[in-house]
Amino acid sequence: MATRALLAVISASPNRCFISSSRIEIQSSVSSFSSLNFQRHSRKIHRIARSYSSDKDSSVLPPPEVSRLAETARISLTPAEIEECETKIRRVIDWFGQLQQVDVNSVEPAIRADMDGGNLREDSPETFENGDSIRASIPSFEEAYLKVPKILNKE
Amino acid sequence: MSTTLLRTIQLNQFSLLGTALIRRRSNNVSVRCCGSQTATTHEAKQTPPSRVAPKNHKSNKLDEILRDYEAVIGIETHVQLSTLTKAFCSCSNNYGSYPNTSICPVCMGLPGALPVLNSKVVEFGVRLGLALNCELSLKSKFDRKQYFYPDLPKGYQISQFDIPIASGGYVDLDIPLEFGGGHRRFGITRVHMEEDAGKSLHSDTEDYSQVDLNRAGVPLLEIVSEPDMRSGVEAAEYACEMQRIARYLGVSNGNMQEGSLRCDVNISIRPIGQAEFGTKVEIKNLNAFSAMSRAIDFEISRQALLYDQGKADQIVTETRLWDEGAQKTVTMRKKEGLADYRYFPEPDLPEVILTQEYVDSIRASLPELPEAKRRRYEAMGLGMQDVLFLANDVSVAEYFDAVIGKGAEVKLAANWIMGDIAAYLKNEKLSINDMKLTTQELAELIAAIKDGTISGKIGKEILFELLAKGGTVKGMIKEKDLVQITDPAEIEKMVIKVVSENQKQLEQYRSGKTKLQGYFAGQVMKMSKGKANPGLLNKILLEKLNAKD
Repeated sequence: MATRALLAVISASPNRCFISSSRIEIQSSVSSFSSLNFQRHSRKIHRIARSYSSDKDSSVLPPPEVSRLAETARISLTPAEIEECETKIRRVIDWFGQLQQVDVNSVEPAIRADMDGGNLREDSPETFENGDSIRASIPSFEEAYLKVPKILNKE
Repeated sequence: MSTTLLRTIQLNQFSLLGTALIRRRSNNVSVRCCGSQTATTHEAKQTPPSRVAPKNHKSNKLDEILRDYEAVIGIETHVQLSTLTKAFCSCSNNYGSYPNTSICPVCMGLPGALPVLNSKVVEFGVRLGLALNCELSLKSKFDRKQYFYPDLPKGYQISQFDIPIASGGYVDLDIPLEFGGGHRRFGITRVHMEEDAGKSLHSDTEDYSQVDLNRAGVPLLEIVSEPDMRSGVEAAEYACEMQRIARYLGVSNGNMQEGSLRCDVNISIRPIGQAEFGTKVEIKNLNAFSAMSRAIDFEISRQALLYDQGKADQIVTETRLWDEGAQKTVTMRKKEGLADYRYFPEPDLPEVILTQEYVDSIRASLPELPEAKRRRYEAMGLGMQDVLFLANDVSVAEYFDAVIGKGAEVKLAANWIMGDIAAYLKNEKLSINDMKLTTQELAELIAAIKDGTISGKIGKEILFELLAKGGTVKGMIKEKDLVQITDPAEIEKMVIKVVSENQKQLEQYRSGKTKLQGYFAGQVMKMSKGKANPGLLNKILLEKLNAKD
């Protein structure tokens, strides 16, 4: 739960948020047109990474805008809850912020910190045997469709 | 308004060359690929397309606008892949299944389910990337694109944000002759893998919508072009070429009607000479290539008008929908601010790693692509009209290649395929692969006509028989005794007989009615059951008619 919250927070923070362990620059406020302007990280990543691993006190990450976070996560909070969350979330962010003090100048950048890749599946169909119970568990399932409120626009 | 209408008809009449996978209807003259088969009344008219250069048919108003403004157009294309299973689970990827039957915990986003990448998706991604002359990222990753919508079960779409599988490519194509022809090269910014969302059905009357999640998780390749197009025509042809390439590669059936090929247009205009781009507008809900072209033309006019009126600031960054009925773009409800998708790397999926050997083996297995075919056909001496027609549909091109591979003369083969065969296929609503006339027989037919065994006219008759019932050329010639009569003596005998039986016409001819030669020729043909060689016949006939008796 905490990791999920953290992931949501970090990805939602309005400014660039650096995760030094995986060396990825995440540009959070992107528009649907951003795909036309994406950055070619695979070439430049080591240069970008080095630019922020400097000596200045980089353990201070921007504070969370909890009300905006709550809105993007579609969670409603009372003002009291917002204040409470702010402190807690801030603590988690700062905790991760400590990672920025690690000197990674001599480390090769990677796009992912873990598995070796692979784990691909063959393209052969398999029917999930318990489709009925999936459909049965949908609260508003009517005439073969999921019935949902009429929403016309994404986001 | 009438010019717009004319333009609409003009654009809709282009050949509806479908694929081998769907019923093929081809107009044997024009060459726009238009997979559009929306049954509009315009399409039903099918007026014979003229070969006049497009400037005469394009709306003069648009011409005027384009003298002052330049349109800058980019296109995002989503290609639904024809894999057997979805991108991240083994559910069947089947168009048209009963709603919500091809589902499982993974594509439904149920708790605890984890995605596993379909190897075919990577293969198709590499194929398409190579076909679009892109650089491949040997290491790429998936990201989560987060937003809330009823047809998005997980609350995020697994996509590729900053490190796509392919980038920095281009596509070469030819503008159809009806629009002025010419080569174009358009840049491709990137190609990336992602999953599709489910399908929502909105009813106008009710206050609810219905969601079918069969499509959720179906693999897509998104192709983003550089903003290199400058007109509706260029944009439509780019989209056509995306469809052509997808079909040639076999990665998708590219049907816009089914939604397996979707195009969104980004368009801005700027006064000619201005360096900065204007405000960009996105247009969605385009269901046909012709609709793309019309929507772009409309949007150019709309934006230019605002510029002219000094109201350029009324052009805002927004998404507009193309209203096919009203033939105009309309605002979607304006969004407050830009969408924030909060991209971050998909933690449940490992890197996608390609080895150079893997890439090379796929490159080696690529079929001849449309551009290469077009250049090869051109080099063979075919005119652009023929080139564009033959290379448009991969099945037709393969058939043509097979026929000339068996020795048939190029131009003759092209003529037969583009003419009578195309007309037959259109009538019978067949694809060239379903035809009973084999490539072997067509090659033999062409050879038989060429070496004089049968006349051209007889050849046509044989063609129709073979198309309808199959069979062999040799067999038919034998069975119906169709060998051409080329023996001058034999022809002479018939000529003499005909002349002697038609003394009255002979006198008329000799007294000046030289047109009666045709009558005599017809009589000899009848007598010979159409087998007399026309050239010889006329030569001998002329001699006899003009000789002093």
